[in-house]
Amino acid sequence: MKGLLKYLSPFAPDQSGAQAVFYDLGGIIVISDAGGCTGNICGFDEPRWFGQKSRIFSAGLRDMDAILGRDDRLVEKLKLALSQVGGEFAAIIGTPVPAVTATDYRALKSLARKKTGMTILAVECKGTALYDEGAESAWEELFTTFTKDESGEKENTLGIIGMTPLDLSITHPEAFVKEIGREGGFDKVFPYGMGAGLEEIEKAGRVRCNLVVSPAGLKAARMLKERFKTPYSMGFPFFKSEEKEAFLKAAGKKTLVIHQQAAANEIRKMLLEADGTSKVTVATWFRLDKEFACEGDLRLETEDRFRDLVLNGDFDTVIGDPLFKRAIKEFKGNYIDAAHYAVSGYSGE
Amino acid sequence: MEAFGMTAAQLAERGKDNLPAEFLSKDHLIYSSPATLSFNSPGAQGFGVKRAGLAVPGSVMLLVAPGCCGRNTAISSVPGEYRDRFFFLLQDETDIVTGRHLPKIKKAVKEVVDFLETKPSVVMICITCVDALLGTDMERVCREASEYAKVPVKACYMYALTREGRMPPMTAVRKTVYSLLEPAQKDPVAVNLLGEFATFDEDSEMFGILEDIGIEHIRQLAGCKDFEEYKKMAEANFNIILNPECRSAADEMNKNLGIPGIELTRLYDIDRIGKQYALFGNAIGCEIDTKKYEEEARAAVDALKNAYPNLTFSVGEWLNADAFELSLSLLTYGFGVSEIFGTVTNENFNYIKAIAKLSPNTVIYSNLSPTMLNYGIGNNNSDFRLGKDAAYYHPGIPGLDWNDEHKPFGFSGVKKLFRSIKETLDVENSANVEVVE
Repeated sequence: MKGLLKYLSPFAPDQSGAQAVFYDLGGIIVISDAGGCTGNICGFDEPRWFGQKSRIFSAGLRDMDAILGRDDRLVEKLKLALSQVGGEFAAIIGTPVPAVTATDYRALKSLARKKTGMTILAVECKGTALYDEGAESAWEELFTTFTKDESGEKENTLGIIGMTPLDLSITHPEAFVKEIGREGGFDKVFPYGMGAGLEEIEKAGRVRCNLVVSPAGLKAARMLKERFKTPYSMGFPFFKSEEKEAFLKAAGKKTLVIHQQAAANEIRKMLLEADGTSKVTVATWFRLDKEFACEGDLRLETEDRFRDLVLNGDFDTVIGDPLFKRAIKEFKGNYIDAAHYAVSGYSGE
Repeated sequence: MEAFGMTAAQLAERGKDNLPAEFLSKDHLIYSSPATLSFNSPGAQGFGVKRAGLAVPGSVMLLVAPGCCGRNTAISSVPGEYRDRFFFLLQDETDIVTGRHLPKIKKAVKEVVDFLETKPSVVMICITCVDALLGTDMERVCREASEYAKVPVKACYMYALTREGRMPPMTAVRKTVYSLLEPAQKDPVAVNLLGEFATFDEDSEMFGILEDIGIEHIRQLAGCKDFEEYKKMAEANFNIILNPECRSAADEMNKNLGIPGIELTRLYDIDRIGKQYALFGNAIGCEIDTKKYEEEARAAVDALKNAYPNLTFSVGEWLNADAFELSLSLLTYGFGVSEIFGTVTNENFNYIKAIAKLSPNTVIYSNLSPTMLNYGIGNNNSDFRLGKDAAYYHPGIPGLDWNDEHKPFGFSGVKKLFRSIKETLDVENSANVEVVE
């Protein structure tokens, strides 16, 4: 049955993806919920939360707030919090409750801006979509709001779009970022959202090129290309050497790779470089962008389809998150773990 | 702005009807820190509605909700014994607006039942804020699903929107887990302990006291090995309610099964514990001798007091106690309490008034106030922390989380707590002793 999970558990939802984009940028994040969604984010989907203080708040909605659509109360609470703890901006992120009551986010944003005098961002999440959808909207909102129209020469810098712990499965990418800059000969690298803040986002129009590390970042990268003619490419330079070593055991074999598209493509590239006879299919439960897909790549939507693909696809090897093994216990081939935080909460660290 | 706190004296003077906005969670955004995890995400640690709903032996749960509501029940995060008992029917955008998911539920229940090797005793359907707003008649949905899948089906309401309402989620789920009991012949020597989802600390004198007065069967939900044993809870002569969130379930059991209930409170003041047992004895017509237990508890308090007479505590609310009652008890025993992280309610305001008399400068904070972002973590003004939230604020001082799932009760709780505090400090002090060779 579509929507029924008998083996797996739900993946990270859209509100988790959206907040992960804003988490490191110094703003107030308001999850427009009754409390549980914020708890899911903090207690599970945002691994950085346990290690550093953050301005994540729940709107603390109660039944009458939702039924009567008391957006003005939410704005008053936001205004009070801003006066108490400050913040560079405020981001309001939706959940199922405002989705059911059809909250008008444009109006809410406008009201909040007028009452607080702050820059307000809003992402209309519903809790029914997956993390990449929320992250995509958040990246777009972020660059639309903050990136300045600047003329002048491009600098020898690289922007990285799409970095969240949900995509990377790590919280400390600094060493990888340094290596990317060294290998590419860039003077500076801006890992937006995980090290590069609002100041760098404002100047995003001046970077020489963008590296997109998750399909959730493509929409923003395309927008930046249109505005600033900044070229972009997709890649995922965040696998550790021991992970790469494990993946290469599948070189020359018929392999199914299940991950977010940028990470899965990177694994395919590795296998083909190691052995050109490798036959690799990429499958993903998340966004599959045509520009970066090969023939035969596919998007998964149900457990039944996933089981059918793995059990009847004649694959020698499957590479994917450890959680998937629960659903394919009958698979006789080799299974290589590739942690994806948005799937299981397993970290690669 | 610094973290907002008020002294006990200031709060007592204002009165419970004139609390500042920082103490009223409906008036501000809810701060989210590791100290508030149990509030914001009851399922993240300990028992939330989902795990609690599975307290009935042999049950499985079908969560009918948007994916986000099931995320912290990710297979990787739940204890192993629950991993094969959770199933999910995910609602999409159209479902949450139109309610078109409702006819699918009975089919999903049947598919889950057919999938399982052993037929479950009951399928718990957990629904969330979406269905609260849609006004779904879940009792009807469950009846239909039960007829279709030929298995008992019950609803667990995880309505976070109603957290401060008449029937908060953890109260509602307590009602649900006892709702499968059917009238049975009474056993005069059987009682139920109601309230928690793990068994009570077996060291509690409660068990000995009940045996002394002739009780032969002391049943707890979490102690039932199978569904047959669970059904025997209907035979109880009376229920002992050990958590106020179980009052509603106890009322239902009284109405439907004819089992009356008597409520006892977890306390840390030895005199009050003694009085409570005396009242309990009066209510059931038995004389209860607690002298031995009382002496043991007092000895543990005295031992700590003798070894560390000037101890000052930081007391949180994420622990097996009412933060204010525990603080008042500590003050009564002659210790200091520099601060309390707690939720001020009508029920505990009397404790605050008493604290104000003994220690007017004790500062009270609300974990949920956004200003707690600015609390100076590590600025220690106490020697010992109690509670998992206090541990977040004071990582540098010795302390106890004191939030074991097997909850303490009565004199033995006092004895265990004070012994544990002393042991922790003894270990800490021995580690700090400089060895001269």
